[in-house]
Amino acid sequence: MLLVLALVLQDWLVGVLNVPVLRTASTVFVAVCVQALPFLVLGVLISGAIAAFIPASALRRALPKKTALAVPVAGVAGVALPGCECASVPVSRRLMQQGVPPAVALTFLLAAPAVNPIVLVSTAVAFPNAPMMVPARFVGALLTAVVMGWLWTRFGKSEWIAERALRRLPDNDGTSRWVVFAETARHDLVDAGGFLVLGGVFAAAFNVLVPQAWLETLGGQVVLAIVVLSLLAVVLALCSEADAFVAASMSALPLLPRLVFLVVGPAVDVKLIALQAGAFGKSFAARFAPATFVVAIASALAAGAVFL
Amino acid sequence: MRRETQNILLVLLGGALLKLALTGTYLRYVKESLQPWLVVTGATMVVLAVVAIVRDLRGGQEHHGGHEHGSSRSPWMLILPVFAVFLISPPALGADTVNRSDRNAAQEANASNGFAALPSDEVVPLSIGEFVTRTAWDDSGSLNDRTVKLTGFVVRKDGDVFVARLTISCCAADASPVKAKMVGQDFAALPTDQWVEATGRVVPGSATKDTAFVPTFTVSQVVPIATPEDTYEG
Repeated sequence: MLLVLALVLQDWLVGVLNVPVLRTASTVFVAVCVQALPFLVLGVLISGAIAAFIPASALRRALPKKTALAVPVAGVAGVALPGCECASVPVSRRLMQQGVPPAVALTFLLAAPAVNPIVLVSTAVAFPNAPMMVPARFVGALLTAVVMGWLWTRFGKSEWIAERALRRLPDNDGTSRWVVFAETARHDLVDAGGFLVLGGVFAAAFNVLVPQAWLETLGGQVVLAIVVLSLLAVVLALCSEADAFVAASMSALPLLPRLVFLVVGPAVDVKLIALQAGAFGKSFAARFAPATFVVAIASALAAGAVFL
Repeated sequence: MRRETQNILLVLLGGALLKLALTGTYLRYVKESLQPWLVVTGATMVVLAVVAIVRDLRGGQEHHGGHEHGSSRSPWMLILPVFAVFLISPPALGADTVNRSDRNAAQEANASNGFAALPSDEVVPLSIGEFVTRTAWDDSGSLNDRTVKLTGFVVRKDGDVFVARLTISCCAADASPVKAKMVGQDFAALPTDQWVEATGRVVPGSATKDTAFVPTFTVSQVVPIATPEDTYEG
């Protein structure tokens, strides 16, 4: 029924989209979805595997008992997830459901997209003339993740996180592990996929609405450039494997604002906020995203002061 | 949303990715290297949905605690990319995107690596990215007095006509333009976004900070061509 209706409307739709702006936006929308879905699927498969094959007790034993110590361990563990931010949301939610403290899972969520080898190599390739960009990005991102983890330990309240994100899976109730694996992966995919698409809609809209000419007028005003680039990182929602090339092409700007762009982007952007609201609830995302934004800028500036 | 509907949406979305990957249309949105991943991703989605459908058919009313959705409506969003791919099939980015930015992405690109000698052919085919980089940064003037052939689409802005390409590093969301201003002929007959092969010579020293590193290209011959399968420069 829906499909019949859609087919009838097809000509009308194609006609409406014949406006250049809408055509560009629809291309960007499909591009964001197509680029992100493989990573999201990787993430839900890992999430399913954790649910099915790694007992909660093993996870607890692998991490230090004190949360304050487990947070940096989780940050460094992010090196092992070679994907962008879409993969890390379902994985960290699964970790929470398996009894990993929220602060530790959230640190992993923030660290994984920015400190893995693929992202660091692409940063090195994009900035052949500024090799210090790589350690600066690594330290800035790791610092953001660890500081957010500690902040959550100190101030976070578990009631901010939607109840569904914390609900433990029933321990082995007789169903086969492969069934648990397939069911968990499918469930996470449907759940997170909708929010990813929503994020894609926002990213496409901002892509055509934000005048790129802003960038060219910034020139040497470093403070203004930092503010504008950190906001751009949020609204453009670039994949963490691609953002270095975009930052590299903004060659009229000094390195520090571009470092801020690279540290903020993988930690907070419209696509991620949508995914987080879906996985952990709106009241979580409304607190976590702004706090991360501020911490990420501060961490990037600190890392920039040391390395650049 | 009902579990059955979710499964159908997953099959459709997986099918959409497979269609893009297998017909080559994915090149409008992402880089060539993503193709195998798109196939795997599409197939995984279909398999996950089919496994769930088969289990439901076999298991009858048996339900899984903890997997129920209640009022969640977010999965409906998955219908958008399905519609976009099957009904609209958005084209590759073109002139509209180029005119959204004044930057010319090739600047500074390989500036420090030195420039390889050009082949000695009479007409040298060059990517627009390399053409821009060489005119802006190669002090030896390796392009002066050489005839080159550029392939790209027609872009108009403020009365000027350009031949342009977009470069992407991951997907179309990060596209950056590279372009050269065409002079020396009447280009009125060429519609915007028409793909062309333009043969001609660079005006030496025309890509400077004042021109936003957009070189001027004196065209001796311009031929309309069909749109290539991969429209982006790497």
